Amino acid sequence: MACGGRDVPSPRRRVIYPLFLYLFVGLALCLLPFVMGRYAVTLAFLLWVAIALAESYNLVGGYLGYMNLGHASFFGVSAYIFGILYTQGVPFPWAWLAGVGGSVAFAVAISVPLFRLRGAYFAVASFGLITLLELLAHNFSALTGGAAGLSLPPGDRLFPAYYLSLSVAAGSVALAALVSRSRLGLALMSLREDEEVAAVFGVHALRYKILALVLSAIPPGLIGGVYTWQLTYINPSIVFGLEIALVPIVMAMLGGVGHVWGPVLGALFIILVEELLWTKMPYLHLTTYGVILLLVGFYLPGGLIRWRWLVRVLSMGR
Amino acid sequence: MTAALIQVLIGGLLQGGMYALGAFGLSLVFGVLGILNVTHGDFLMLGGLLCYGVYVALGLDPLVSLVIVIPVFFGVGCLFERVLIQPLLAKSPHELLMGSILVTLGAALAIEDLVPFVWTQSFSGIPYTVRSLVIGDVVVPTLRLAILLGIIVLTLMLHLFLRHTFVGIALRAMTQNRRGAMLVGINLPRLSMLAFGLGTALVATAGVAHVMLYSITPTMGVPLTLKYLTIVVLGGLGSLLGSVFGGMMLGLCEALTSLYIGPQWAPSVAFTVLIVVLVARPQGLFGVRRP
Repeated sequence: MACGGRDVPSPRRRVIYPLFLYLFVGLALCLLPFVMGRYAVTLAFLLWVAIALAESYNLVGGYLGYMNLGHASFFGVSAYIFGILYTQGVPFPWAWLAGVGGSVAFAVAISVPLFRLRGAYFAVASFGLITLLELLAHNFSALTGGAAGLSLPPGDRLFPAYYLSLSVAAGSVALAALVSRSRLGLALMSLREDEEVAAVFGVHALRYKILALVLSAIPPGLIGGVYTWQLTYINPSIVFGLEIALVPIVMAMLGGVGHVWGPVLGALFIILVEELLWTKMPYLHLTTYGVILLLVGFYLPGGLIRWRWLVRVLSMGR
Repeated sequence: MTAALIQVLIGGLLQGGMYALGAFGLSLVFGVLGILNVTHGDFLMLGGLLCYGVYVALGLDPLVSLVIVIPVFFGVGCLFERVLIQPLLAKSPHELLMGSILVTLGAALAIEDLVPFVWTQSFSGIPYTVRSLVIGDVVVPTLRLAILLGIIVLTLMLHLFLRHTFVGIALRAMTQNRRGAMLVGINLPRLSMLAFGLGTALVATAGVAHVMLYSITPTMGVPLTLKYLTIVVLGGLGSLLGSVFGGMMLGLCEALTSLYIGPQWAPSVAFTVLIVVLVARPQGLFGVRRP
């Protein structure tokens, strides 16, 4: 601490300790399928899916400050492209890549018209888009199977799906961490605080917003294919419904948007709370869930990650 | 074909009128308090449920039960605002946005789960039949026409209230600029509470109309709120009467689509119209572009 001030930790504390921590946690998560039963592995798989969706929402919803209620549309588009191609006999890697490509192309296509809008207008229009997609999937039943859904050839894919989803979730956290430390992140946050001022200082608003939306479409695009592959069945309300559209956003907001670890904490919290409530309480679990949301919103509108006591406990006095 | 068209137009206008009642309340709350009330659609369900409960218990006519429903939900709305929303209003805009969504969404989930827990009977609509008028080969459903007229009268009364009373003018001032309204001596907390109560009472009234014509289900709230939100955005945020026009327009468009293109496409109309309108006019139909 030669440079004075207790706010500047030494390089060892800043870099080495977290590195060891991440390595240790990563190793533990890689070994988890060999230690735990299938039930826990499936639960963890769902957690990685949730983290990938919530964390990628954070790029646009948190750093850019545009509430993209249609974030799950990237997930759904890639799930359907993957599902259709895979049932036609296209091998997994190609179908997977096509799904990601499809969701990125979709993000590019909607970005210019959507970013004409701001605030609540943007939020509602993006939500409108996902509702529209759900209806299209319902009504073009020749391609999508309609309300009956799309069934993939079954198979035991839990382990590969676990590792793929774990890498996507880790990748999305890394992406958010990189973005938040980069010039791009700085541009996004300046646009969030005041778009006009940022533009005057030379931030090319539309270009950065499109870049953020396209980046945020990659993790859902990746996870959509893996999810479909593992569950082997999708229908319009699973991939475009209200639940998949809103739950990741609620996770991100509950954990705290605009912070790398906020969505991770939120996803972990909600998945664990749901699991506990659904298995331990005979009834009224949705009420309890609602009351928890209400209390967090009331006392900690910035999310759990901004709860000082919790952060101190988690960082163990570091 | 004209007979069918006229009937579809009446149906569309009626649906539009019910949309307008609910959307107006949401628009009022959004305009005056600046928050998105996700619980709004659940108040429609609760309003319909109270009306139904009174009908079952006392045999009261649904229209007469409005005398009970409106004051009860005005009170519920005021209480909800005072207890859950008012403390959030002091926070920073970003925290207010996140906090209000979490709080109202949490309340909506709790309500949707508690209602079937408390109300163990089955849900249904109230059988309410009035003889239809037959003019030539057009069958005019009298009940629907009467409800439509009631909604139009209510809308006109609201318009006069907002234009010509002190409270109405103060509410409009608050939608334009909260701080400015405060500076000229408007009691913000009291009027915010009033606006919330009014919006809740209006949506509960729409719930009574809903239970007379269709039926209610416990989980209808959140999708309904999103539909209202679409209407509010379509009409233009901050434009209170814009939401009324938006609702009417949406009802008509849905009816015409199901007549000419097919009923399975009707739910997509709302969002297609919304996206087209927003791309052409980003501030909504009646919205004013803010600098």
